[in-house]
Amino acid sequence: MMRKISTIISNNRRFLPLTVTILLFFVAYAVGAWMYTGMRDPQVFLNLFRNSPFLLISAVGMTFVILSGGIDLSVSGVVALTTVASAALLRDGWNPWLVILLMLVMGMVLGATMGAFITYLNIQPFIATLAGMWFARGMCFFISDDVIPIDNHTFLILARTKILIPGLSDPVSQTGDYISILVIVMMLVFAAAIYIAQFSRFGRTVYAMGGNNGANEQSARLMGLPVNRTKMLVYILNGFCSALAGLTLCITVSSGHGLYAQGFEMTVIAAVVIGGTMLTGGEGYVFGTLFGVLVTGVIQMLIQFNGKLSSWWTPIVVGLLTLAFIIVQSLLAAQNARLLASKKVKRAEVGLPSDAGEAGKKKPMPFARQLLVFGGGALVVIVGTFLVVTNGQRNANGLSSTTPIQNCQSQPFRQDQAVTIIQSGAVLAYERNGGPNCIDELYAIYPDGRIEGDNGSESVKKQLTPEELDHLLSVIVARQWFTNEIYDTYHTPCGSCYVYYISVSYDGKQKTVKAVDGGTDAPANYWQVVSEINGVIPKFTSP
Amino acid sequence: MKTLKSTQTGRKIVESKLFFPFVALALILLLDFIFIPGFFKIETRAGNLYGSLIDILRNGSYVMLLAIGMTLVIATGGVDLSVGAVMAIAASVAAIMINPTIIGVKLPPDVMKLVFDPNFTYSPLWEVILVTLVVSMVCGLWNGILVAYGNIQPMVATLILMIAGRGIAQLITHSLRIQIFYAPYAFIGKGWVILPFSLYIVAFVYAIAWLLTRKTSIGLFIESVGINFRASFYSGIDEKKVKLLAYIFCGLCAGIAGLVASSNIQTSDANQIGLNYELDAILAVVIGGTALGLGGRFSLLASIIGALVMQATTTSMYAIGVPASAVIAVKALVVIFVILLYSKQVQSFVRKIIGQKGA
Repeated sequence: MMRKISTIISNNRRFLPLTVTILLFFVAYAVGAWMYTGMRDPQVFLNLFRNSPFLLISAVGMTFVILSGGIDLSVSGVVALTTVASAALLRDGWNPWLVILLMLVMGMVLGATMGAFITYLNIQPFIATLAGMWFARGMCFFISDDVIPIDNHTFLILARTKILIPGLSDPVSQTGDYISILVIVMMLVFAAAIYIAQFSRFGRTVYAMGGNNGANEQSARLMGLPVNRTKMLVYILNGFCSALAGLTLCITVSSGHGLYAQGFEMTVIAAVVIGGTMLTGGEGYVFGTLFGVLVTGVIQMLIQFNGKLSSWWTPIVVGLLTLAFIIVQSLLAAQNARLLASKKVKRAEVGLPSDAGEAGKKKPMPFARQLLVFGGGALVVIVGTFLVVTNGQRNANGLSSTTPIQNCQSQPFRQDQAVTIIQSGAVLAYERNGGPNCIDELYAIYPDGRIEGDNGSESVKKQLTPEELDHLLSVIVARQWFTNEIYDTYHTPCGSCYVYYISVSYDGKQKTVKAVDGGTDAPANYWQVVSEINGVIPKFTSP
Repeated sequence: MKTLKSTQTGRKIVESKLFFPFVALALILLLDFIFIPGFFKIETRAGNLYGSLIDILRNGSYVMLLAIGMTLVIATGGVDLSVGAVMAIAASVAAIMINPTIIGVKLPPDVMKLVFDPNFTYSPLWEVILVTLVVSMVCGLWNGILVAYGNIQPMVATLILMIAGRGIAQLITHSLRIQIFYAPYAFIGKGWVILPFSLYIVAFVYAIAWLLTRKTSIGLFIESVGINFRASFYSGIDEKKVKLLAYIFCGLCAGIAGLVASSNIQTSDANQIGLNYELDAILAVVIGGTALGLGGRFSLLASIIGALVMQATTTSMYAIGVPASAVIAVKALVVIFVILLYSKQVQSFVRKIIGQKGA
């Protein structure tokens, strides 16, 4: 029996990293569901997909690049440029569909330029795409230094339309579990990518080119495959995917800024590697990339559900997982090389071409051991992740019990003060803290249009006209503030991100919502409200 | 030498590793000379020198330090993506050693008062520097072990520390931005002794690297490992140890750069320190003519000039008035230009021109 299993595995060795990833995803989710009841909600599972179009679309393009033996660091730059450029064009009143088309073309042109440098001038992909990334990111700031909000109707519809899941929702009242249009787009891209990779001539050429430290590219060339053309196409395809990912990002957050998606290329590469694609190229599946993305999502989700854990555990865990997968890959590569060598020896001894099945029969024992190593490795990673999560929780608890310390990012919400403000008749209490300058600003807006703000060392005042106040409040209500569309998305913020707390008391209703910027999970309407409030409040002179 | 024809001399100059970096640097400085009045003015204040040129040297010191270490790694045929993260780790370690109260360590009340005093440090300065450098060498060791003994592709192996390193730095400082008040520490990055003190550090590290690679056989070993590690192995060089050494040295350089960077802004910010510096360092080395991914022949001085090319671009953009965040786009164009200078097509073109002139 064991022997049979090991034979099956040894014949399907190339699926091993993929299988490990898929198992890892389900185990990690199961652990999460066991620890946190919140994760048992089907909507939370669907949220994994709702949060991933951005990463997955990009990762699909990157899978092709990596399979072809290259690398593309420009994704984050192209993503940021797409968000800024489309936001700027929409602000100027362009047709949204034209903007989308233009952005996709722009991504492809950028990809083609980098591809040409790599293919025809023999510049290292690393360098050429790095320059591309810098160029794209720099161009963002030529367009705009600030965040450009998007309030285009089409983009809002794309962001907000719910596609209800049959069986888990109530179509009459439009409630229940749902996904977004972007998830459908993501799935279409994903399906097309699988088809291209597995069943098209282009896909086969990509596989043929990658791997073996560039020697395979030489062989592909000698076989008469169109290597140059394919290389160009791979980078054009990735440019397209990056632009599409940028569009999904700017649809989700309803704004564009040059600082979006910092360091995103590394997340994408890590997701592709965790998905079982060899970084040297030539081996891997687009299908695996989906699970690479989902595993990253689950890790993030576990850390968010934990709540007390610093969000900096995400890169550490992702880094460790990447390491584990790279080790699995290099072991596999070594195994393959050994098998190949032993076959060669056998052929030489017998003087006959040896049978692959025979080789499989003779090799099961070392492979069973290998399996043990992989299984053990995966187990160690899972247990390690689990320990890290639970231990980190304890540490975090321990920390919070020590004396209050100078804390830049997550100063506790001045909740008491905010409550007093609301009780004293204010319609809106708005606090913003953290950010690169460690600010802590609390504003109160009163029904007579008075705005008072203090940041601990200074206080500012401003008087709004009744029309301005009416406009502000009607915008907040129109953004569905008091419905379930606006919900808390607080998690430990990144170092230079702001934390927002907004309490609105209007028309007899009151609601407080917190969010952290830099996250893509906060509802788009929330950011509209934030930018609306930021537009009217007075500024402090001292940081 | 006098008997050589001018053609050969010309070819020799063009083929020298220093030629293209110098051309690039000279071009940038020439543009500055034409378009920015007073760019070359150097002032003396209290016996110290100030000016745009000095600024280029001072602000370029991190990248110069990183480039020295990176040159050796790239010469072995590898690359180290983690230097930026190692800088952040080094800065974090130094910061919490100087002021551990920030992460919740309780000190006696009479010491507690002194925390914001510029003369206060929890651990003596030599200890801070020593521990920081040891930690950064351990980071280098980790990379080296993965690459040399784990046989993992260098880009992949160092990617792990690059992703995880910043997280580790955040954990060390409990994701706080730590201000450093201790004055002697600030001198490392901010002090001036006629020239900025950080330049003397660069010179010192350069001298050590130069002695190590040019006065011992290690430099030759590194080149031979880069050109063909298998052949080096058969000729009796322990190629794994050579690689390990290169990565440890690179970690050390990153640690020093982290110290200089954090003392310059007197803050340890695990999120920002060294962000994207790995890219600057790699480009500096590539501009210096050491082949990324292939390894082999290297020139430390050319890498230093490469670092200056990067910094001169940035400084002159600031001087012209390009917004800080947009400078990166111009930098990309410079990089593309310099890389084009290296492409075979352009090089053979330049050689043809110089050859014709000589003939």
